[in-house]
Amino acid sequence: MAAFRNIKSITQISKLFNNAVSNRTVIPANTVLAIRNLSTTKCLGGLMEFFDDEKNWGVNEVKTGKSWSIDELRIKSNSDLHKLWFVLLKERNMLLTMEEESKEETRLFPSPERIDKVEVSMDNLEAVVKERNKAYFELETGETGERKVEEIMGPFGLPVQHEQEEYLIPKHMNAEWQKKHVHDVDNADVKKFVRLYKEKEMREKRQQQTRDFNHVIGLLKRFPDMDMEALKAKYPDVDIDKAKRSRKCRGHFVPK
Amino acid sequence: MRLTQLLCSSVGKWSKQFSNLPDRYIERTMNQVYWKNPKGSQYKPNTEVKRKKFRFSVHRPWTAQFRQQNSPGKLYKKVFVEPIKDWSFFRGDRVEVLVGPDKGKQGYVKQIIEERNWVFVEGLNCTLKDMGGDKKYPGIYVKMEQPLLVTTQVSLVDPSDLQATAFEWRFTEEGDKVRVSTRTGRIIPLPASIEETIDYKSKATYKEQPKDTLADDVSEVTFQPALKTFQMDIMESMDIKDERVPLKTYWY
Repeated sequence: MAAFRNIKSITQISKLFNNAVSNRTVIPANTVLAIRNLSTTKCLGGLMEFFDDEKNWGVNEVKTGKSWSIDELRIKSNSDLHKLWFVLLKERNMLLTMEEESKEETRLFPSPERIDKVEVSMDNLEAVVKERNKAYFELETGETGERKVEEIMGPFGLPVQHEQEEYLIPKHMNAEWQKKHVHDVDNADVKKFVRLYKEKEMREKRQQQTRDFNHVIGLLKRFPDMDMEALKAKYPDVDIDKAKRSRKCRGHFVPK
Repeated sequence: MRLTQLLCSSVGKWSKQFSNLPDRYIERTMNQVYWKNPKGSQYKPNTEVKRKKFRFSVHRPWTAQFRQQNSPGKLYKKVFVEPIKDWSFFRGDRVEVLVGPDKGKQGYVKQIIEERNWVFVEGLNCTLKDMGGDKKYPGIYVKMEQPLLVTTQVSLVDPSDLQATAFEWRFTEEGDKVRVSTRTGRIIPLPASIEETIDYKSKATYKEQPKDTLADDVSEVTFQPALKTFQMDIMESMDIKDERVPLKTYWY
């Protein structure tokens, strides 16, 4: 790949980078800070860690297992999860870099589902961390400890989900917030809009019901010996007996 | 219901089982967004105009052929698919073909396309397709299996007498759901290849790859419950002490 033509310059930069890091770790020698700055992780390739193993360049597929499930993550300690998060983050960065590089080089990016596997693992990990924090806060404070979401009236007269934010002054003093979030919806224009919007929603719902009903008629016509339970399970809102009575439902034969 | 969920549910479980691909990847490759609502104050926030009706045929949703078949602007006539309560034909099942030139022959299910109620039976119900021909060269004929409808065109085979049979799902004394032949009352066992994927024959025989976490490391229990949040625990383990008192703030 062409990006690797500049390998020399990249490794030189990474060398500089490594030196800078190691110099910094040497200076403080007394306290805990020194221990924190001293990284025990083996430095593999500096900036080349953004790229995959050279064996995987230009291959058709890179075999990998499944993503971490929630149950597998629940049995891991907080520090393990913390470490795993950075492993996953590095892997995702590497995969996105490789994807971009493959695009530039018009080459095949092997096994693109790896990105999804890593992202699913990260989502699951975050869910487990939230779950643990929520348990702590519910026990200690009786609240979830997460950002609250409340339903407020939007500018169009329709309710919107508002994620609360942190401010230094209370609500009644915050004129800027009031201007942005408090809407006068008690006027004729908004009322007309809401009426027409509700009408549109109702019409869409009714049209969907009619479409489903006609589809069921089509199914009954084509498959008269169909499993009626399966049909009822798939279209719970459709009156199947009424559909059976429909003229369109009957085939071109004399009824028995 | 969100459209992504709809998309995901439109691809049947058994259609994607053999590929061993994450649902999210299948969803991502199928997704065709033509227009997105701009950010800001909208009466319908995060609205997307995207393809809702897909043509499912012999091509799998994550392949280039599927994308070509469902390219933007291409519409197809509606296909009526008979609803089925429980999917009952799995990879490796011995079935009898009830129609066509191979009527009465038995074979094994090779591929499942749940969206159309189709199965492919290995080596049966084939057509010859001319491939790679041009003006000078006539091309070569490739034998390809054609799909068969599970509702009318194939039948499961009773293992006791190797004859085609009707069946139903019943529960055993232990509470397992099994397929039972209505003719002989024998159980038709699920094939061993039911959990086979492109990556492994069975979960037990999976060969660990260099990028995988070892199974022992995954199953090791390291969690010790303590009255701490995640952040408190990490700060303690890293010896970070924060004694600053936060300002009084308001959330709204």
